Amino acid sequence: MIRLTGIARTFLVGGEEVHALRTVDLEIAHGEYLSIMGPSGSGKSTLLNIIGLLDRPDAGSYELDRKNVTALSDDELARVRREKIGFVFQFFHLVPRLTAVQNIELPMILAGIDPAERKPRLARLLAEYGLEERAGHRPDQLSGGQCQRVAIARAMSMGPTVILADEPTGNLDRHTGQEVLSVLERVHQNGGTLVIVTHDPEIGARATRRLRMLDGAVVGDDSG
Amino acid sequence: MRLADLLNFAWQVLRGSVSRTLLILLAMGIGVAAVVMVTALGEGARLYVASQFGALGTNLIIVLPGRSETSGAMPGVLIGKTPRSLTLEDALALKRSHAIRRFAPLIIGAGDVRTGARSRETPVLGSTSELMDIRSMELAQGVFLPPGDPRHSQPVCVIGSKVASELFGSRPALGEWVRIGDRRFRVIGILAPQGQSLGFNTNEIVIVPLAAAQALFNTESLFRILIEAKSREQIVAAQADVEEIVRLRHEGERDITVITQDAVLATFDRILRALTLTVASIAAISLAVAGILIMNVMLIAVTQRRREIGLLKALGATGAQIRLAFFTEAMLLALGGAAAGLVVGELGRSIAVQLFPAIPFQAPWWALVAAPATAMLTAVLFTLAPARRAARLDPVQALSRR
Repeated sequence: MIRLTGIARTFLVGGEEVHALRTVDLEIAHGEYLSIMGPSGSGKSTLLNIIGLLDRPDAGSYELDRKNVTALSDDELARVRREKIGFVFQFFHLVPRLTAVQNIELPMILAGIDPAERKPRLARLLAEYGLEERAGHRPDQLSGGQCQRVAIARAMSMGPTVILADEPTGNLDRHTGQEVLSVLERVHQNGGTLVIVTHDPEIGARATRRLRMLDGAVVGDDSG
Repeated sequence: MRLADLLNFAWQVLRGSVSRTLLILLAMGIGVAAVVMVTALGEGARLYVASQFGALGTNLIIVLPGRSETSGAMPGVLIGKTPRSLTLEDALALKRSHAIRRFAPLIIGAGDVRTGARSRETPVLGSTSELMDIRSMELAQGVFLPPGDPRHSQPVCVIGSKVASELFGSRPALGEWVRIGDRRFRVIGILAPQGQSLGFNTNEIVIVPLAAAQALFNTESLFRILIEAKSREQIVAAQADVEEIVRLRHEGERDITVITQDAVLATFDRILRALTLTVASIAAISLAVAGILIMNVMLIAVTQRRREIGLLKALGATGAQIRLAFFTEAMLLALGGAAAGLVVGELGRSIAVQLFPAIPFQAPWWALVAAPATAMLTAVLFTLAPARRAARLDPVQALSRR
């Protein structure tokens, strides 16, 4: 469960203060499927980065699974990120020199998980995301949809509480995008929390709870 | 992160950019190889000099007439220096010392050695039978000067191998007569070819009994007295004895110079060691250059791999893990470069040995340890800044750019 209280984030751009987020209050329950929509510059990516502990708010407090994570050190944040959060990016962000299976393995390697334990988990992930035949391929030998499936498998490898996806279909054609989205939605169907940032209303509409943002503030929160 | 995973991750990076990896290995390798080869050359020269001194004879003490010091004291008072010559009687008096095993007085001059129509100008040494043992000479044929009272002499001589071949060609020289100045000597021995030793080419000398040389060159004074101490520990005692005995004989004046082989050897040893260290540290500069190359490449890598570093952070990598990944990469490069350098250095050493078999080229153990260690140290030192930069990278910014 995620609880944001009075979160604000200001950037300095060319000596001028830009309020990316102005006092955002948000509660996301466990197992929710949330989409964040809004025009570019509305602060939706900043919000996602703060939820994902990649960025720190200038004000406000953040509780993740009933634990205040606002004051944690960088290393502690890295640990929480590793265990509870899975990221899916618009540009996949796969390491180009590593094969699909090595990319999926990365979070487990960073967590120091025993290779004997990694093996069955990898096999399960490859099977779950239909990547068994592409396991030994490098990203440049994979299609966009396959790349994003590798990225989703990687995000799921540590069994996170929440999956954060930033424009996950933004770099894919319509058909592949739909396919990737349905793969992502399996997270929600399996009881996980899924947050998707998008500016595509059609994709945003598929979520069970839809957030609208404008100028760094939440202007619409629509569930049902 | 496990060590095996860390190594594997760094290995993947290195394998991913082959030419970059090879270039750094080359730079590191050259640095290490240079240090190894240069120290091998220096150490070889040092061992060569030591062995040459050893070939002179062991526990050697050399006595020279005259004393090298500044004379003349107060202005207006002239104190002349009258170097007393060193005589055979001085030498014979040395028998009193218990620290001395044997000694050989030495007179040197240039003589015209003739047989039949052939003639050759060679250095002529006048000495006694002890010379052979003191200077570890070897005979090819015949015998050395006969022992006996050095005040009397027989008309015999021992000639160097080159003198023999020049004067007699392929004819046997043993038992033949040669004429030196206005005296005749029978050849009783021929020296084995030994080459240079402390200023003389033993292949080109003629050795005659001391008394004969005294008559030949019309002199009583000795050129040197060569002394062999009973043991290495006795060298100091022998030196003191020599100085004391000769001082008493010379009415209390210290007018000789006593050189011990140890002192000369120690001086050469120090000089050559210092030289080796100096050139080795110059070679080590190339290691520093290799280190700077590593830093440069790592800084480029931090820029090139921004997205990857950002991603690793998003996946939960701590700053320490990112730093460690960079250090592992640098260490692998340094290790590989050091290994390649050691191999190349060893190769260069064996080539040098092939070219100059007389010189025992051998890199000292400290160089074999110090060169790779320096490579490793520079690699780590020069990776500090890039690794820090990578660890501090803001993941949001690193990921946002395409």
